[in-house]
Amino acid sequence: MILEAKNVSKIYGDGTAKVFALDNISLQVNEGDYIAVMGPSGSGKTTLLNVLGGLDRPTKGEIILDGMRIDNLNENALVNIRRGKIAYVFQEYHLIPSLTALENVMLPLIFSGSPDGTQKQRAIEMLGKVGLSRRANHKPTELSGGEQQRVSVARALVNNPTLILADEPTGNLDYNSGLEIQRLFDQLNEEGHTILMVTHDPEKASHAKRLILFKDGKIVEDKNQDDKK
Amino acid sequence: MKLYQVALKEIIRRKIRVMYTSLGVIIGVTTIVAILTIALAGQIKINDELNKYGPNLMVTPAISDISMSLGGLSMGTLAVGENYIQDNVLPKVRQITDDLIRKGFKDRGIPFEDVGNIATIAPRLYTNADINGKKVIVVGIDPAEERKLRIWWNIAQGKYIEKEDEALLGTHAFGALKLNVGDTLLIGKKELTVIGVLEETASIDDYQIFIPLKTAQVAFGKEGSISTIDIRALCNACPVEDVARGINNEVAGVRAVAVKQIASAEMGMMEKTNNFLLVLAGITMIVGCLGVINTMMTSIHERVREIGIMKASGASQGQLIQVFLFEAIAIGVIGGIIGYIVGTIAAYIIGPLIFKGIVIRFVLEYLPISLVLAILASIFASIYPSFRASRIKIADAFRTL
Repeated sequence: MILEAKNVSKIYGDGTAKVFALDNISLQVNEGDYIAVMGPSGSGKTTLLNVLGGLDRPTKGEIILDGMRIDNLNENALVNIRRGKIAYVFQEYHLIPSLTALENVMLPLIFSGSPDGTQKQRAIEMLGKVGLSRRANHKPTELSGGEQQRVSVARALVNNPTLILADEPTGNLDYNSGLEIQRLFDQLNEEGHTILMVTHDPEKASHAKRLILFKDGKIVEDKNQDDKK
Repeated sequence: MKLYQVALKEIIRRKIRVMYTSLGVIIGVTTIVAILTIALAGQIKINDELNKYGPNLMVTPAISDISMSLGGLSMGTLAVGENYIQDNVLPKVRQITDDLIRKGFKDRGIPFEDVGNIATIAPRLYTNADINGKKVIVVGIDPAEERKLRIWWNIAQGKYIEKEDEALLGTHAFGALKLNVGDTLLIGKKELTVIGVLEETASIDDYQIFIPLKTAQVAFGKEGSISTIDIRALCNACPVEDVARGINNEVAGVRAVAVKQIASAEMGMMEKTNNFLLVLAGITMIVGCLGVINTMMTSIHERVREIGIMKASGASQGQLIQVFLFEAIAIGVIGGIIGYIVGTIAAYIIGPLIFKGIVIRFVLEYLPISLVLAILASIFASIYPSFRASRIKIADAFRTL
């Protein structure tokens, strides 16, 4: 088990205006897992991902990563978690527009202080893995949506994270590009990466080994779907 | 790739916004450079302006102490007593004064134009005369030197003395004697023409008649005698007391006294002018900084997504602050260079409006000063905004979109 959520709640507002974005959630993620979290819009999927990944703090409960509580860590301690343990892939790709694809992939290595030579070598390797070697020196605006998302996946992989959190990674893409990204995630999982992915597309969710159905801040169903794979 | 390269690429992409942010620094540096450039060029002009204070050194005949010991009555005798300075001391007085002023400038390392006479030395001979049945004070003067010393003298009618047989009248003397410009005036044994009348000065000058020194000496049979010498020494650089001491030590029969009130007022004026300008420049810089803080805050708000991306990619608070400080330095460099150029141009335009006939020169030494000042100011202005930026939560950074 690499990640565990214990009785986690996230409450917005107070008094009568209280909204339970997460309502007493408990969840375990094991090494090698490939989890899809599905649910309607506003059900709290993104909040779950943010809280699990240390991007946001839970109001109640504990998040334990590799045996260590991370929900009560300060910003400086969270930096170390983002530099290797958890990586994120966002729906909007979130690339820095002034940097090339290669430089965007290098970004986490620049922050973690890797030597210049290693940075470039590692980033080229990751771009190769997502099939974008030839587009390394293009700026994000010169890339298609699918290509931009592949750059952001390469960026997530560059620090060799324990867990990849993906928030609707295919949400902004057309059918074919979405499928490519989906296959990329399938391949990464086969290579041993642990992936937790939020989606509202049943077809994409069907690729995962485990499906969590989410509604009104609660887990409705948590089932293995190995048979479907 | 290094962190500063990431920052630099972002700055290049957002160059218009960065320029806009620099505006506050540019305005501050422009003001400071313009003021300093004009002030430097204006130093000599300010000296000229200070001449309006009149003489700052008075030379009178030496009076022996013995007369004083005779008591109250003899005091009266002293006041009307015939005490004169021999006019052959004038060259020596000039030489001592000029030498000491030169030394004063040299000792303080101040450049100055060493051409001809430096000090203004104006001898005067006072006599009483009966003119048209009225008692009037007639003053023999060196017309050229007197004019330089009494800058506030304006001619109300006619013109200033040019020839030996011309007389200039104070406004009340002119009124009391009921004369017209061009009339002939009998002073002692000499006939003179009334050549001009002074405007009212609100001083004793209004009641006096001025005639050339030589003419006065001959008219009253006082050849070679003068009553006082007024000296104007350029004393922004040289303590006027030194000049007084030099004259007292080397010239017999005279007593030189520094008019301290005037000397210290001159020093004070220079100091006050400089302080005022620096305070003005300082305020401009502070206002500029507030402008930078403001635009930096806006700029951070616009870049909340980039900040979120960098944090999610493992940037620490310190690294984010570094990125913003790189930007601050870039803003400082842009602000410093542009501010220096615009400030110098402003000095060329505004300088002549403040000091007529001023010669402005660009001062290259101000460029590094401008750069350092601008960088420090923009770093100072960026501290709070970058600290705020580094504390933005990633979830909030992406949620605002």
